Order: sequence, then C-alpha cells, then structure tokens
Amino acid sequence: MNFLLPNEPGSAARRFFLSSAIWLLVGVIFGLIGAIEMVDPDLFPAHEHLTFGRMRPLHINILVFGFLMTAFFGGFLHVIPAVCRTKLISERLANFAVWFYNAIVVAALATLPFGLTQGREYAELIWGIDIAILAAVAVLIFLVFGTIARRTESLLYVSAWYIGGGLIWTFFVFAVGNVVWQAPHGSWMGIHDQILLWFYGHNVVGLVVTPQAIGLAYYIIPRATRTPIYSHSLSLIGFWMLIVMYTHTGTHHLLQAPVPQWLKVLSIVNSISLIVPVFAFLTNVWLPLKDRFSRVFRDVGAKMVFTGTIWYFIVCLQGPYHSLPSVQRVTHFTQWVIAHSHIALLGFGGFIAMGATYYILPIILKRDLYSRLLADFQYWLMLIGTLGIFLSLTFAGLIQGEAWLMGEVVYRVLPELKIYFVVRGIAGVMVVTGAVLFVINVLLTILRKTPPLPVEGSEAETEVAA
Amino acid sequence: MIHMNARIVGIGTAAILVLIFFAVVVTPRYTNPMADQPSMNHRARTAIEESGRDLYISLGCQYCHSQYIRRIDWDTGAERIAQAGDYVGEYAPQLGSSRNGPDLSQQGGEHTDDWHAAHFYNPRYTRPESFMPPFSYLTGTELAGITAYLQSLGGHMADQRVARQWQWRGQATAAYEAGADANIEWLHRNVPEGWLRVPNPYPITEASFLRGEVIYQRHCLGCHGPVGDGQGPAVRFIYPPPLNFTTLNRHGIEGGATGGMLYYQIMNGITGTAMPYFKRELESEKIWDVSNYVAKQFIGIVDANTEPRGIDAAFEPVDSAPVQVRGN
Ligand code: HEC
Ligand code: HEC
Ligand code: HEM
Ligand code: HEM
Repeated sequence: MNFLLPNEPGSAARRFFLSSAIWLLVGVIFGLIGAIEMVDPDLFPAHEHLTFGRMRPLHINILVFGFLMTAFFGGFLHVIPAVCRTKLISERLANFAVWFYNAIVVAALATLPFGLTQGREYAELIWGIDIAILAAVAVLIFLVFGTIARRTESLLYVSAWYIGGGLIWTFFVFAVGNVVWQAPHGSWMGIHDQILLWFYGHNVVGLVVTPQAIGLAYYIIPRATRTPIYSHSLSLIGFWMLIVMYTHTGTHHLLQAPVPQWLKVLSIVNSISLIVPVFAFLTNVWLPLKDRFSRVFRDVGAKMVFTGTIWYFIVCLQGPYHSLPSVQRVTHFTQWVIAHSHIALLGFGGFIAMGATYYILPIILKRDLYSRLLADFQYWLMLIGTLGIFLSLTFAGLIQGEAWLMGEVVYRVLPELKIYFVVRGIAGVMVVTGAVLFVINVLLTILRKTPPLPVEGSEAETEVAA
Repeated sequence: MIHMNARIVGIGTAAILVLIFFAVVVTPRYTNPMADQPSMNHRARTAIEESGRDLYISLGCQYCHSQYIRRIDWDTGAERIAQAGDYVGEYAPQLGSSRNGPDLSQQGGEHTDDWHAAHFYNPRYTRPESFMPPFSYLTGTELAGITAYLQSLGGHMADQRVARQWQWRGQATAAYEAGADANIEWLHRNVPEGWLRVPNPYPITEASFLRGEVIYQRHCLGCHGPVGDGQGPAVRFIYPPPLNFTTLNRHGIEGGATGGMLYYQIMNGITGTAMPYFKRELESEKIWDVSNYVAKQFIGIVDANTEPRGIDAAFEPVDSAPVQVRGN
C-alpha cells in the first residue's frame, strides 16, 4: 500500500515527472522512426506495426497525452498546494491518478500500433481509453479544486486560474470532441464532423496544453528569478481573452475546405486577435526581468521554461500568419505546418514540461539535481534539435507550397524534399539523445540518496503585483 | 480589481466554453442544409468499399493523403473542387491535414487495379521516387477492399472512369493474349492518325538525352525496366505486362513516326492497362525528351528532328543539323 499509494507529500508529483520523462523518450523514438521512413521507406521491414501511418499517431498521442500531460500533472500537484499555501487534498488519490493515467498511456501504446484508432487526428484513441482519460481528468479536477478550496492564501494566484480552468476545459473539450457522440468513433457524420474535430483538435493545443504550460511558467519564472509578475490586470486580460478567442479558431484548419464562410472569417479574426492574450502573458513574465535577466539562467529548469516562452512567442507569430487565407494558399497541407506543430509542442509545451520537471523535482526532493552539466547539455541538444526540425521543415514546406501553387504535382516535388527530411532526421537524433539524458538525469535525481538541502526561504510565488 | 476565485475560474470559464461551442460547432450543424444534401457526384459505398475505408483509416493513409480538392489545386483530381455534400453519410470524413502524397478524393479510375497492386506492394515499383510505405503484407481480401475503396473515391465521376478502364481493359487483354505483334498493332491502332505522322521535333543532343534518361529513371523504370525490356520489378503484378520496347524494333514502325506515336502514348497513357498518363507530371518538351530516349536507347529507330516537321522545337541548338525554317 505504501509503495503503491504513498502518503508522503510530493510523491505523486515525483512519479508523474518520472513517467513523463520516460514517455518523452518513447514518443520521440516513434517520431524518429517516422522521420527515417520518410527518408528511406524500405529501411525497416515492411510490417504493419512499423508503418508510418501507425507510427505517426503513436508519436503524437504518446507525446501529447503521455509526455506533456503527465509533466503538467506533476507540475501542478506541486504548484497548486504551493500557491494556496496548503497541502494537497489527498496524496493517495494523486498517487492513484499516477497509476491510472499511466495505465491509459500504456493502453494507447497497446492499441495504436494495431490499428485500433478512431481515425480522427488528435482523437485517435479508442472510445474506452477516451472514457478513462475523462475519469482521470475528473480525479485531477477534484484534487486541484479540492486543494484550492482549502487554501489559506486569500489571493488566487494566476497559475491556479490557468491550471484549474485548463483542467475543466480539458474535460469539456475531450467530452464533446471525442466521446459523447456515436460511441464507437465519437464523430459526427459528414463535413459537420470536421468542424467538430478541429474545434476539438485546436483546443487540445489551445485549451489543454497552452493553459497548463502558461500556468507553470507563471509560477516558475517569477519564483526562480524572485521577481513578481508585471501586472494583475494583464493576467486577467490574458486569461479571459484566451478562453474567449482560442475557442473560436478551430476552423482556421479548414480555411480551404467546404465549410461555411462565416466560420472561416470568425476563425481568422480570432486567430489574429490571439496576439493580445499571448503578449499579455509574455509581457507579464518578461518585462519585470528587464534588468535581472541573468537570474533566469541560475536554474536550468527556469532556463528551459524561459526558452519555452520564447518558442511560444515564435509559435504565436507564426500561427496568426498561417491563419491568413492568402498565406495558407501556400502553407496549408505542407511540412511548414508540421514545423509549427514541433515548435509548439516540443519548443513551447515540451520545454516548459522539461523545465518544470527540473525546477520542481529538487524542491520536492529537497536535494539537488543529479547533474546540472547533463541538464545543460540536454538543453542545448534539444534546443538545436528543435531549431533543426523547425528550419528544415520550414524550407521543405515552402518548397512544397510554392511548387504546388505554381502547378507542380506532388510527385515531382518529392526529390526536392529529401535533403530537408535528412536534416530533420539528424535534428531528431539530437532530440532523442536529449531525451535519453533527461530520463537518466530524472531517474538518478530521484534515486540518489544525498542529504537534503537546507529548507528554502520565503516563497515568492504569491507575490502578485497589485 | 476583479478578485478571482475558484467559482469564477471553474464555472465562469466553463459557461463561456459551452456558449462558444454552441456558436461555432452546433450552430453550423443546424444552419447549413447544403452539408446534409448529397452532392450530384455523391454515391453511397458498398460493403467491400467500406471495409477498405476501415483499412485506410487503420493503416493511417490519412496522415499523408488529403481528401479534398481546393480552388488552387493542379494535381490529381483537380478537375473537381470539393463540396460539402460529397461527405454526406460518412463518419469521420478523412479530409486530412497534410499532403505528403497526392490528394485522393478523386482517385477512382485514375489507375487500374493492377497498378494499385504493384504500387501497394512497393510504391517504388511504379513510382521510383516515392516515399510512401510498402504494404506488401496486405492479404488478398484486404488489398481487394482497399483498392475498391480507392476506386470509389470520386463518386459518380469515378465510376465513369472506372467503367471506361474496364471496357478498354477487355480489349487490351485480348490483344496481349493474341501475341506480341497483334498487341503492338492494337496499341498503334489506337493512336490517332495525325500523331503517327509527327516525328520527334527535338534533335537528340547530349543534354536532351541525359534529361530523357533522368525522366525515364524517375517515372518509367519500375515497369519498363532499366533496359527497356518490360522486366521492371512491377512486372509480377501487372497484366497485360509493361511493354518490352525492344520488340518495337522488330515490329518496325512502318509508315509511321516513332516520335509522335510515343509522345501520344506517354502523354495519354494506355487506358485499361497499368500504363499511366503523364500529361500532368511532364510538360510537352519533357515528353519529347523521354520519347527520344526510349527510341534511341531501347527501340533503335529514331526519327528525331526529321521531316515532316509537325511541331517546332522550343529551341534549336546551333550545333545540330541545319534546320529548315518553315513558313516564309
Ligand atoms: C508516408 C506517407 C504516405 C502514406 C502513409 C501513404 N502514402 Fe500513398 N502516397 C504517398 C506519396 C509520397 C505518393 C506519391 C508517389 C506515389 O505515387 O507513390 C503516394 C501516392 C499514392 C497513390 C497514387 C496517387 C496517384 O494518383 O498517383 C495512391 C492511390 C495512394 N498513395 C494510396 C495510399 C493508401 C491507400 C495508403 C494507406 C494504405 C497510403 N497511400 C499511405 C505517401 C504516402
Ligand atoms: C505502372 C507501370 C508503367 C509505368 C510506370 C510506365 N509504363 Fe509504359 N506501359 C506499361 C504497360 C503495362 C504498357 C503496355 C500495355 C499493353 O501492352 O497493352 C506500357 C506501354 C507503353 C508504351 C506503348 C508503346 C507502344 O508502342 O505502343 C510506351 C511508349 C510506354 N509504355 C512508355 C512509357 C514511358 C516513357 C514511361 C515513363 C514516363 C512509362 N511507360 C511508364 C506500364 C507502365
Ligand atoms: C496565436 C496562436 C496560434 C495561432 C493563430 C495558430 C494558428 C494555426 C493554424 C492556422 C494552423 C493550421 C495551419 C494549416 O493547417 O494550414 C495551426 C496548426 C497547428 N497549431 Fe497553431 N496556432 C497558434 C498557436 C499554437 C500553439 C500555442 C500550439 C501548441 C501548443 C499550436 C499547435 C498547433 C498544432 C499542433 C498544429 C497542427 C495541426 C494539424 O495537425 O494540422 N498552435 N496553428
Ligand atoms: C525526435 C524528435 C522528433 C521527431 C524526429 C519527430 C518527427 C515527426 C514526424 C516524422 C512527424 C510526421 C510528419 C508528417 O506527417 O509529415 C511528426 C509529427 C508530429 N510531431 Fe514530431 N517529432 C519529434 C519530436 C516531437 C515532440 C517532442 C513533439 C511534441 C511534444 C512532437 C509532436 C508532433 C506532432 C504534434 C506532430 C503532428 C504534426 C501535424 O499533424 O501537423 N514531435 N513528428
């Protein structure tokens, strides 16, 4: 019982972090296999469990639902009690969530390679697993809101808005996008389903990954640099505009498809307006650092989280740009969109997830990271790898898009792309190597028995500028 | 200053979310009757086609292939822009988000079943530059299902193309089975008279020959083979098999021009057989180049740059034989 469901504070967060690191490694290996197959499709034996069409959903689902989500869960099991100045409502229940959620990811691993899929992007997991995810999210909602209800700090810090809100949105988005209609595949009929799917698909990144990553960044950057955020009003603007704007933008994935025109217009307008909440957040965490910038680099975790916010900046300039119909004539269907996905989920989400792991683990364990050097090395591998993926796919995408627009057929453009796919593969090897170092570092940090550090001084996390 | 608390965060935002969900997802569903009306081209699928669709989804074809044609497209299927009514009655329509391979929404009738068999076994057999994964492990029934599904894509228009393929297929098979000479005679009978009188307007220069070679390697090798004997790796799957170009020499090309005949057949393909058309992939000059290459390298009968000149070449190399200027 005490091994399975320990009551020790921080045990659940720690286990979530460890599982996250392992899922990162598993997920990027599938990504690398896919990338290699795009360079040399006959390298691996022709086998259905290894084919690109199975690797790709496996890659995405393991990384989004395995790597990113577990790291975020681990992060807020620590952050929520910290900003509420209380204890987690039930550590045992949180530990139950660890096992339960990991069982879900294992179930994904055990179904997707066998072609058990709903066939909808980001909603591939079969219905039974979807239900289980809803149950797991419900448990986490209970843990988070239960803890918030017992808070001793009267101000609710902005991290808690994003984390609590983000979980509720996750539950809703998942339920309507994926679960409640027509049990076996959770979809609507006809073109309506695409509108539903991209409402869902877009919100998986916008209302599931984004708020959780932002919530953690709002906690870690001010705390690590001992600098309060810039303005409470900006937090409010960023938060409310995120929920209002992001939800309207799903149709920017369908700008060239036969869906109603007014929906397209609405999605474009909102996509561009999204710059406001993005900059509200960035201003809030960046501006106070203007003359203490070097503090960011003291902690490797904070450094990664900060880098994640830079990626966020780039992603959210690229995104509105790609939402313009005249730009999308070139970019849609090309690898440039996949470049965007990678700086979004690996650059922004992934760096914040890894940074949160490195920042919070030492606090929970009350001892240093196993190796700062290893972590720094991983940081550079991952950073260069992500840049490599982004740049190579950007070039490939521009070549594709321009050539198609000029009347070139898909087949004739293929020889042009090869070199960029090779570069992407090399960049991928760097990310995979980084992931190996990450697993080693996290594992050894947890296993190592060293005397605890002196207890931390006063907490900075609730210093909200009024 | 707004004081945020759990109730605002939880219930307030959830209310906004529900509201917006109704606005942007539920409203379009009930205010867009066009999307529930089958388009003129739409038809329901048969059971075997549905089984192929399930396989398509389970093998993840949708991650590389889209299924809708946009206003700006030129490639396969571009003759018909997608309409909302094309997807009526389909669960989880596979519009796709990435085009690593061509759009498949109008795939039906573009290729014959034997082309698909070779292509699925290993896409490099019919398309040497492809990076589509091999599907050699599919069983006979699976292959039949997924091919039937591909042939159904494009609704009634696809059905017409498929019917035309089958009609010609009967003739092509009969001609092939009647022997090599009869086959070639049948093949040439289907080339319009005019084309049989057009020699290749392009002189064979070193540059154009090399270009022809590259085109051959990128497009033709898998079927017609590296030496043009029709023994490329795809041959096991294709019936009637790819033409052995060297037999054309024996057959002679009496009274006709090799260039125009080859041009016509490469441009249009041979309907009913696996021989695809190349008019989308290759511009005019490239087809002339590969015709010259095939004629010189494999057939051994070359009429490049000879009389009567039906068409002027796009360029006249200074070091080639003197060229007569037509007109004045
Ligand atoms: C890794 C990406 C990838 C996957 C996965 C993939 N394809 Fe392809 N496909 C391509 C590429 C690239 C081409 C263009 C070159 C060629 O014809 O092979 C192509 C071409 C095709 C064509 C020929 C289109 C034409 O008009 O010439 C068909 C048909 C096709 N694919 C069907 C499928 C089916 C069915 C599946 C799933 C079982 C599938 N593809 C999976 C990449 C892919
Ligand atoms: C998928 C296989 C395939 C590919 C690829 C292919 N062919 Fe063919 N080709 C065939 C088949 C099959 C026939 C013969 C049909 C018959 O005998 O009825 C044929 C016939 C021909 C003929 C007819 C010759 C005559 O005298 O009637 C020409 C010319 C030809 N191919 C040229 C080419 C060229 C040039 C390319 C590349 C640009 C090419 N083919 C690519 C399968 C292919
Ligand atoms: C200002 C904010 C953003 C805007 C306006 C935006 C816009 C877009 C657009 C227009 C596309 C579709 C491109 C196409 O298919 O042609 C897209 C794709 C995508 N975006 Fe963003 N984006 C934004 C931020 C983000 C963030 C923060 C994330 C992740 C955390 C993200 C993740 C993705 C992913 C994964 C895709 C690929 C979807 C697919 O599979 O096709 N985006 N984005
Ligand atoms: C080793 C590093 C990685 C490699 C080599 C890699 C490779 C790939 C490949 C080959 C694809 C398919 C692209 C296509 O269909 O054309 C893909 C898609 C995707 N990858 Fe990765 N990936 C890596 C890391 C990551 C990470 C860490 C994440 C997120 C946390 C991620 C998220 C995604 C997403 C969301 C897509 C879908 C893109 C879309 O639909 O537009 N990848 N990746």
